[in-house]
Amino acid sequence: MTHDELRESLAAYALNAASPEDAREVEAHLETCEECQRDLKVLREVTADLASGVGMVNPPAALRARVLSAIQPQARPAIPRAGTLGLALAAALALILAGISFSLNQRLAAVNQRLVALNDRLATQEQVLVLLASPTTKTAALSGSVQAKVRFVYDPERKQGALVVSDLGDPGAEFVYQLWLIAGQEPQSAGVFRPVLGRPIIVPVAADFGRYQAVAISVERGPSGSPRPTTKPILVGTI
Amino acid sequence: MRTPDEQSLLARTARGDTRAFEALYDLYNRSIYSLAVGILGDRETAQEVTQEVFLGIWRGAHDFDPRRGDPRAWILSLAHHKSVDAVRRRRLRTAEPLNETMTDPTDVAGQALRAVESARVRDALSTLSEGQREAIALAYYGGYTQQQIAERLGVPLGTVKTRMRDGMLRLRGQLGSVAETDR
Repeated sequence: MTHDELRESLAAYALNAASPEDAREVEAHLETCEECQRDLKVLREVTADLASGVGMVNPPAALRARVLSAIQPQARPAIPRAGTLGLALAAALALILAGISFSLNQRLAAVNQRLVALNDRLATQEQVLVLLASPTTKTAALSGSVQAKVRFVYDPERKQGALVVSDLGDPGAEFVYQLWLIAGQEPQSAGVFRPVLGRPIIVPVAADFGRYQAVAISVERGPSGSPRPTTKPILVGTI
Repeated sequence: MRTPDEQSLLARTARGDTRAFEALYDLYNRSIYSLAVGILGDRETAQEVTQEVFLGIWRGAHDFDPRRGDPRAWILSLAHHKSVDAVRRRRLRTAEPLNETMTDPTDVAGQALRAVESARVRDALSTLSEGQREAIALAYYGGYTQQQIAERLGVPLGTVKTRMRDGMLRLRGQLGSVAETDR
């Protein structure tokens, strides 16, 4: 799109009503165009005013604690193990020591867990990097009814691919997103995933991509998804 | 007056300052939750969305770019984004075929506008042409995409975009700068 066309799309973008393709183009354009940045600023003032037009209701007071605990770095469990020593002082001391060592152990275990998880993530990210470096790798952008940044990268030669997802909303507590490879009328599950706020998700896929014409994502019941899609796909891309 | 202050709250939040985040919660919980209720019409989901918005603020505060709007506009835009995403997911789950349900688009636009209680915003919307008002109401309060709106109204996509743009600029003239009413 040209600058003028993008400028024309800015209002739809500010209203969160632009198509995913338009939104991507607008965002790329905004990086460099000061005029459109100023325009968007004005449009967002209007949408903020629209927001203030709704009837005001207070959320339940308990929501505050829920939100604040969601951002706390793991509450530390304070469950000291009791020792049965005769001397009160020794008992107290042992208790304190046990508490400290317990909480240290807990923390170490948590750190370890995070390291393992980080390692896994790094490994999948490396897979994607290897894919991207291959001259035979192709990419497909997925688009549909929700706004999200979703690309499918795949190398038909090596039969390796990965779905890279960022900015996809939570599907709801009992639901997952399911990835499908589609050959004719035959969708085949290629895994389920849930989005993690603020972090891209990578779903590795090994398949003979020559057999498929499309990839699609639908919302299915968690935790393991469904053998066939039960809802209309929210995002589709041709491969 | 409030902007530089909130900007520093966002900057501190980006550095992981939970006190600054709490202050933002206290400033914005009501307007975020109210917007989600207005769009979703369902308090349960609105609570989930509100929580999602605040997590988005906590993790995305460093993405805030003052060149594209003040903190209030950024936060409310995020709240709107999460609310319409939730309403779209719900429509998909309930397998509501978007263009077949309600036939008369003005009904749907009218329904979407029921969420609006402030006289100031109502008055401003009433100065728009019907086409502009429908396009903006369906998008902002109804959570419909530009394509869905074009299909519903039976007009080309380009027309929808133009109506949105002209309508928004007109609203800006009507609403003036951010007023000191309820946020």
